[in-house]
Amino acid sequence: MMIKQNEIEQFIPQRKPFIMIDELSKADEKGFISKFNIRDNNIFLKNNIVSESALVENIAQTCAAGFGYINSMKENEEPKLGFIGAVSKLTVNKKAKIHSSLTTEVQILNTFDNIHLIEGTVFEKNQKLVSCQMKIVIA
Amino acid sequence: MNKEEIITITKSFLSDEFEINSNKIISENNFHQTLDLDSLDYVDLVVVIEENFGFKPTSDDFKTIISFNDFYDLVDKKLK
Repeated sequence: MMIKQNEIEQFIPQRKPFIMIDELSKADEKGFISKFNIRDNNIFLKNNIVSESALVENIAQTCAAGFGYINSMKENEEPKLGFIGAVSKLTVNKKAKIHSSLTTEVQILNTFDNIHLIEGTVFEKNQKLVSCQMKIVIA
Repeated sequence: MNKEEIITITKSFLSDEFEINSNKIISENNFHQTLDLDSLDYVDLVVVIEENFGFKPTSDDFKTIISFNDFYDLVDKKLK
C-alpha cells in the first residue's frame, strides 16, 4: 500500500465527507490503483445507490492521489494540485451499491507538458462499473 | 513516406479528431486557428500524431508550427 487511509488527505485537496478513496495501492509512471468502500454515511448515496458522478469523482481523486504521491517522491519540488480539464468517453455499465468494495484503475495514456490524458475504470469484484477518459492539468 | 502521403494522412485524422471539413486543411492556412485548438486539445493532438506517424511532438515542436505546411515539414523531418 502506498498511501493508507489516514494519510490520504495529505495527497488530495478534498476533505470529508467528499473523500471518495480509502487508499492508494499502486502509483507509478504508468498509472494508479485505489480502493474504496462505500459506507452507510457516504454523502453520494441515494436509495442505497451511489451516483455515477460520484464514481467519476472517485477516478479523479485516484488521479489526484497518484500524481500527488509521485510528486511527493521528487525532492525539491513544491506540492502541485491536479484539476480536471475534461471528461470524455464516459461509459456506465452498472451502478455501485452501499457496502460495495471498489477498485479503481487509472492508466496514463499520454502526457503533454503539464496535461495528462488518463483512462480510469471503476471495478467491483472484477466487474466494470464506470469508465471514462480525463484530461488532468497539474498546476 | 513522401509529402503527399503525409498531407493525405494528416487531413484524414485531423478532420476526424477535430471534426472539421478536410477542405479547410490547406497548406497555407493557420494550423492552430483552423483546428480551433485550446490548451487541452494539444494532448489529443499528440495522441493522434503518435498513432499516425509514430513520433511524439514536444511543445517546442508546436512553437515552430504556424501553417499546415509547417506541420507537414515537421513530420517529414521527424520521419527521416
